[in-house]
Amino acid sequence: MELFRVEGITKQFSEKFVLRNFSFEVAKGDKINIAGRSGIGKTTLFRLLLGFDKPDQGSIYFEGKPLTDEEVWEVRRNVAYISQDLNIGRGLVRSLFTETQHYKANLLHKHSSDKEILQQLAYFDLPESILNKNIEELSGGEKQRIAIVNALLLKRTIFFLDEATSALDSALKTRVLDCFLENDEFTVLYISHDTYLPENISLRTLKLDENE
Amino acid sequence: MSETVDLSFFSMVMCAVLLLVPVLVASYLKLGVIRSLLVSTVRMVVQLVLIGFFLEFLFNLNNAFVNIAWFLVMLSAAVFSVLKSSGLKIKAFVFPVFLSLFLSNLFVVLYFNYFIVHLDFIFDARYMIAIGGMVLGNSLRSNVVGLGDFYQSLNKEEQFYFYRLSLGASRFEAMLPFAKRSFTSALNPTIATMATMGIVSLPGMMTGQILGGSVPLVAIKYQIAIMVAILASTVLSIALSILFTVNYSFNKAGVLNKSIFASK
Repeated sequence: MELFRVEGITKQFSEKFVLRNFSFEVAKGDKINIAGRSGIGKTTLFRLLLGFDKPDQGSIYFEGKPLTDEEVWEVRRNVAYISQDLNIGRGLVRSLFTETQHYKANLLHKHSSDKEILQQLAYFDLPESILNKNIEELSGGEKQRIAIVNALLLKRTIFFLDEATSALDSALKTRVLDCFLENDEFTVLYISHDTYLPENISLRTLKLDENE
Repeated sequence: MSETVDLSFFSMVMCAVLLLVPVLVASYLKLGVIRSLLVSTVRMVVQLVLIGFFLEFLFNLNNAFVNIAWFLVMLSAAVFSVLKSSGLKIKAFVFPVFLSLFLSNLFVVLYFNYFIVHLDFIFDARYMIAIGGMVLGNSLRSNVVGLGDFYQSLNKEEQFYFYRLSLGASRFEAMLPFAKRSFTSALNPTIATMATMGIVSLPGMMTGQILGGSVPLVAIKYQIAIMVAILASTVLSIALSILFTVNYSFNKAGVLNKSIFASK
């Protein structure tokens, strides 16, 4: 099943083209590594798919429908995005989870139980006590893992990971990628400089450089 | 209590002599502010003289419509002042900010006049203009901070705002932490002032009333009431300002419209 279709999009910031006549498709269950040197437009691609920015030319479709200003809200209800930005909020970690689950759009699905939260925390090597810590006190690596747990608790199946493991050590990186790439249900688009790949995974690589 | 001592012409000359202190210091330290200092002084004198005559005229006339009209003039000046210092484009915001300042301040002033002072004529010039001016002046300052802060931080921390949208938040849910922060930063100065009031400084209104012949205990009661009125109008006006401007400031996809910022 086709989730996203991108047709000939071009995006330019002042004089510089970041994407030029770029096309690709994402089907359900795809695992796609988005590659290319920095500044090539990898993050921009995510922003365009999430409707935070608009292409200068070309079209984007989500589940066959053109990505209009109204439709982007539907995308945001279906995609869990983990940005490379570590500003994920203030206050208690527990409150972040609760608040996210209580967004009106997320009320429809069943809330994660405490048991689930603890399981996820344990999988990513985080102690239970972190729930009562302030986000501001966490290290970069801890914040990244909290953002990942927060995304997983939403029970979505499409993930955009933008250097979501940059602050983690290699053992944890492996664990994160295993978690996302080994799940057949998940559709994952990720930006990462790691070369690690779990076995038996068919991964597509989308090279933005080749489009120049 | 005795009447206030009027200041003679000679008194005003002595006041001008006192002005030499900042002028000499500024000149010695080459602060480069002498020109603006003198221009501001002249402006202050001219404006106050004019307003002095004008207020006397208003107080004698004491007509509800004229008083409201003058309140609107003060309000318009306040709106432009808010927008100019907030770094936001005046054209896009003038109407919603005007409306929010108008509703919140008029409500608080009339409430004050009716329920607190128990005036028979709630549009009484003495109260409407004096209290209105104080409430407006303070909620104005808070609005500059609050509204400016809200949009500037949304712009600066756009990633955080997008992060929340991507988690499924509605526009309102995503901007909530920004609104909360702007409320706090707008209220903090007033809260801090209240905490030290009477110890560090005697508020201008109290000083004025005492010089005007009021008993300190009456002046204190007014001061307490006015501080509460300022808090109320501050919270109301920021809430309404944000509420009335968000529809102008975001597109349908929930993305902040960058053209709301005044070009530098």
